[in-house]
Amino acid sequence: MTRKQKRLTVILGGMSFIMVAVLLVMFAFSQSVAYFFMPADLAKTDVQPGTRIRLGGLVAEGSVKRGQGSTVSFTVTDGTGNVPVTYTGILPDLFREGQGVVTEGAFDVSHKFVADSVLAKHDEKYMPKEVADRLKKDGVWEDGSGKGMAQGTNKADGQGVIKQ
Amino acid sequence: MMLWILLAFLTAAVAAALLIPLLRGNAIAAGEGHASGHAGDIEVYRDQLKEIERDREQGLIEAEQAEYARAEVGRRLLAAAALKDGEVQAGSTRRKHGLATAIVTILPPAIGLCLYIMLGSPGLPDQPLEARLAAPGNDIALLVTKAERHLAENPSDGAGWDLLGPIYMRMQRPGDAELAYRNAIRLIGPSAARLTGLGEALMTLSDGVITEDARTSFEAALKLEPDDTRARFYVALGLEQAGKAPEALAAFEDIAKNSPADAPWMPLLSQHIAKNGGAPLAAAAPENGSGAGRAPGGPSQEDVAAAENLSQGDRQQMIRGMVDSLAARLKEEPNNLDGWLRLVRSYAVLGEKDKAGEALNQGLVQFSADANGKSQLLALAGEVGLTAQVQNPAEGAKQ
Amino acid sequence: MIVELGHYALVLALATALIVSILPMIGARRGDVALMTLGTTGSIALFLLVALSFGALTWAYVVSDFSVNNVWENSHSMMPLIYKYSGVWGNHEGSMMLWLLILTLFSALVAVFGRNLPETLKANVLGVQAWIASAFLFFILLTSNPFLRLNPAPAEGQDLNPVLQDLGLAVHPPLLYLGYVGFSVCFSFAVAALIEGRIDAAWARWVRPWTLAAWTFLTAGIAMGSYWAYYELGWGGWWFWDPVENASFMPWLAGTALLHSALVMEKREALKIWTVLLAIMTFSLSLLGTFLVRSGVLTSVHSFATDPTRGIFILCILALFIGGAFSLFAWRAPMLKAGGLFAPISREGGLVLNNLILTVATATVLTGTLYPLVLETLTGEKISVGAPFFNMTFGLLMLPLLIAVPFGPMLAWKRGDLLGALQRIYVFAALALAAGFVFAYLKGGGPILSIFGLALGFWGMFGAIADLWYRGNFGKLKFSVAFRRLAGLPRSAFGTAIAHFGLGVTVLGIFAATTFGTETVVDMKQGATVNAGGYQVTFDGMKDAAGPNYTEQRAHFTVREGGAVISDVWSSKRLYTARRMPTTEAGILTMALSQLYVSLGDPIDGGGMVVRIWWKPFILCIWGGALVMMFGGFVSLSDRRLRVGAPNRKAKAVKAAKPVMEPAE
Repeated sequence: MTRKQKRLTVILGGMSFIMVAVLLVMFAFSQSVAYFFMPADLAKTDVQPGTRIRLGGLVAEGSVKRGQGSTVSFTVTDGTGNVPVTYTGILPDLFREGQGVVTEGAFDVSHKFVADSVLAKHDEKYMPKEVADRLKKDGVWEDGSGKGMAQGTNKADGQGVIKQ
Repeated sequence: MMLWILLAFLTAAVAAALLIPLLRGNAIAAGEGHASGHAGDIEVYRDQLKEIERDREQGLIEAEQAEYARAEVGRRLLAAAALKDGEVQAGSTRRKHGLATAIVTILPPAIGLCLYIMLGSPGLPDQPLEARLAAPGNDIALLVTKAERHLAENPSDGAGWDLLGPIYMRMQRPGDAELAYRNAIRLIGPSAARLTGLGEALMTLSDGVITEDARTSFEAALKLEPDDTRARFYVALGLEQAGKAPEALAAFEDIAKNSPADAPWMPLLSQHIAKNGGAPLAAAAPENGSGAGRAPGGPSQEDVAAAENLSQGDRQQMIRGMVDSLAARLKEEPNNLDGWLRLVRSYAVLGEKDKAGEALNQGLVQFSADANGKSQLLALAGEVGLTAQVQNPAEGAKQ
Repeated sequence: MIVELGHYALVLALATALIVSILPMIGARRGDVALMTLGTTGSIALFLLVALSFGALTWAYVVSDFSVNNVWENSHSMMPLIYKYSGVWGNHEGSMMLWLLILTLFSALVAVFGRNLPETLKANVLGVQAWIASAFLFFILLTSNPFLRLNPAPAEGQDLNPVLQDLGLAVHPPLLYLGYVGFSVCFSFAVAALIEGRIDAAWARWVRPWTLAAWTFLTAGIAMGSYWAYYELGWGGWWFWDPVENASFMPWLAGTALLHSALVMEKREALKIWTVLLAIMTFSLSLLGTFLVRSGVLTSVHSFATDPTRGIFILCILALFIGGAFSLFAWRAPMLKAGGLFAPISREGGLVLNNLILTVATATVLTGTLYPLVLETLTGEKISVGAPFFNMTFGLLMLPLLIAVPFGPMLAWKRGDLLGALQRIYVFAALALAAGFVFAYLKGGGPILSIFGLALGFWGMFGAIADLWYRGNFGKLKFSVAFRRLAGLPRSAFGTAIAHFGLGVTVLGIFAATTFGTETVVDMKQGATVNAGGYQVTFDGMKDAAGPNYTEQRAHFTVREGGAVISDVWSSKRLYTARRMPTTEAGILTMALSQLYVSLGDPIDGGGMVVRIWWKPFILCIWGGALVMMFGGFVSLSDRRLRVGAPNRKAKAVKAAKPVMEPAE
């Protein structure tokens, strides 16, 4: 092989590997990407049963019911819509009524959402970002109290605003 | 002052450290023959030659290829060696560093002082906690911390917990207050004051809503001391929140009857009596109608209010969640008068008149055959200002 | 006063960094030795100032000085002492301080141990390091200042996030940052070389120990972080493809590629331009990681503190350094001379393949991590890219690399003989395949693909042994002669073999744990027994307990095998009192390399708990393999040949940094 041919082989080999990688990435995206919805969106868009999505919102007060074994059902709400969710497994430590959650799963045929993962972040101030953005936009939720303290230059009222 | 001396010293030290190379720079240049890139190159090439030899021995490279590689490296080695020889002659000339010296002397103090004065708090001494605890003065927070430490070591000191409970409440730490009251009750037994305190803590924790737990606690307090005004007030408040206006009215009026006419909580009572459909007390007309009165028996009402204000956003959100789930539940089991009353009130609190009206109508349809239920709903409607919308329940239902 | 002194030291550090980022580089241009020497003293002074500042902050934490806002927000007087120390970097401001401390430490190490560097190169390297330090000093002072005070001071702090109150946190961030930030040296070397417009043959050899050190620390840091997440979060997983994990993994992948391409450059003068580019990319990915973690633009289990202004500031730093470096590269790279020739099938070719796969894999991870962000910015649509995406793409792309690894060291430089290598190594390949089948058979079988996965792990391990075997020429020569030949090999050869062996161990652990692991979620009443991985786990009951700053409910489990009690496990739910925050503490029983992992769920009506039990066979291999890789890195670092120009000078950077490693695991 001449020098040029050698170089060509290397370049062609590399390019084909990269092409394979690109195709793989595109295929994987089509397979495993989950879109994020909130209950209000679901009223507008039609999500086919079986399509994996992420559902975010607040856990409605008084909606958490423990069923058979470790199956839990609860309602995810965003103030306008409600979606009943069932989940089998162990809920995160910070899963509470009135707190934000993100669940991932799919609707079953009877249009109940079956989640296979539930995220509630391990920070007590946590509000899942997607949920917080939306709720802020809708004016339902405001940033937690005590923000003013964060800068600490507020020397006059240090003692008064101890946050719980 | 000591601080400024130290800061000045530090600045001087840094400037001096940076000045040294400038001041004796030429000496360095003349003294040490400094490393150059080419010396490094030569060594690397020598190593490469050795490596080729080793690889050939191990059969990692064929003899012929090794020969080529050796020639390749050898050429580079010669080139590098030639460059290095050329370089040795190039000496450094004497240079002046006036500008550099000026920068090095001026920049640290200038930037240091400007930024520090902007950002720092030079007047504030260190405040290690141990030292502060040793001389707490009359700082309540510090005294509490001291008490906490004592209790951490002697967790069975019931009297200590009892003391701490009300203080926590005043510091708006209802969670800790709950713990303290519970510990006190567990260790030195229940008393009306402790049980009421616990109830208050629970109530504050749930943002002013008298929960089942809180109510149980107040009622237990009343069993021990039936005349405890505070506990009675909260029980009445609980009735009010549950939408049982007549019972609440009776309870509030009862408290008013048994209280001295100039009691400080009279305005508040009067307000609640009015709210539940009774005639305001003559003795204490509400001053400005916005919870200015004090709850009986202590300053806690203010604190509750303060705590509520603190987490306005959270509370709003919580109410919203509750309301939604309540509405959903009522759709499934509509035969729940209390539920409808609460829903209407909640929507009114949230300022959603339309939804409140809608809920009211639905409730009225549901209880059209029930005189008591209907009148309660209508009374509530009057209270929250919905009268205009629902002159005729039947019509409302048709809409 | 100590706190204020620390604050001032930080401000002064900024002034020093500015001086060091300008004067030595001017000196390098004008050939002014005095100005260049200023870089050396300046970098040392810079490190001392930052260390003083960091020390003052640490002191404030240790004595619980709540007049410092940062201490008040992240500490508690009753916290165990070790967490008061580790709490310093358990928050945004403190972690940036640690970042800066390590950055300046590396600058100082270059200043002290880089005596054999060409003066101009050294001045430029230190100058570039000082640019980075200045940018981060500005960032810390203006947006994330840990020295802001409170007056009057609160009496008690708000406690460190309970999840962070763990020994893992004490070790994980420093190791990770030693890796992350260590790549800054490679970046500075690359930029310095571009500024000078030429790259010496020795350049790769100067860069290699720094790359190796950073890579070693990063390996340890990632493994540590993975293990920490595994036992602390109570989810039983060891890798979540979480954006923050990806943020540390991408520099590792790029750094691994850099390690290998620098080898080609040092030995054969080839791949010069590519290596420089890779050095810039690796540190850019580190910066990107810092940006992703600190700005909170991505939803992640790790983002504890988020603040948009900080995000924008870091984004500017990111754009400045990455954009600047790449522009410089585009302008200067064509001036660099290309090096030696090689055939596609050769050691160089193998390393190019390694680089190709690693960079493509890095790009894949980057795509998966950033795609949701880009899509949201462009269309407002919110999506999540989860583990399945990464497993599919990254996993498949890595397969050819894992197969190719043992071949690499067998191939000759310049022109290799693939057939010859095959002839030598096929016995080991057969052995690996057999080992995979035997392993699966002993474990009760498994899908054929996982058997190949297991064999792949063994292949990595056996391939490393084969490498040493043929280097010593055992089998052909007498054992004693072969052994002497082996002993005569440079340390870096051993380092390579050990690290490749470790890779095999990790791969084996991954496949074994995923193939043979089991997960059971059950409701357990007191006295109930569940079967998991051939063990019988009995729930004996709950007990209340209290720790220094938490209360907990502990569940006791007895583990039996065939009726005989072999051990017991405590698993608990904790409530950290200061923040009223619950956490789950998993109970983990280690048996040889396998683990039984018991995690508590919620209580169920009528007594009892939801319990989740995992059986994780050979899971420790995953982190054990990483430790072996790390050890390989250290062995390689101890190779004398990495010390260019000064064979008689002892104590290198590496030696000095070594004690820091000890607490790992």
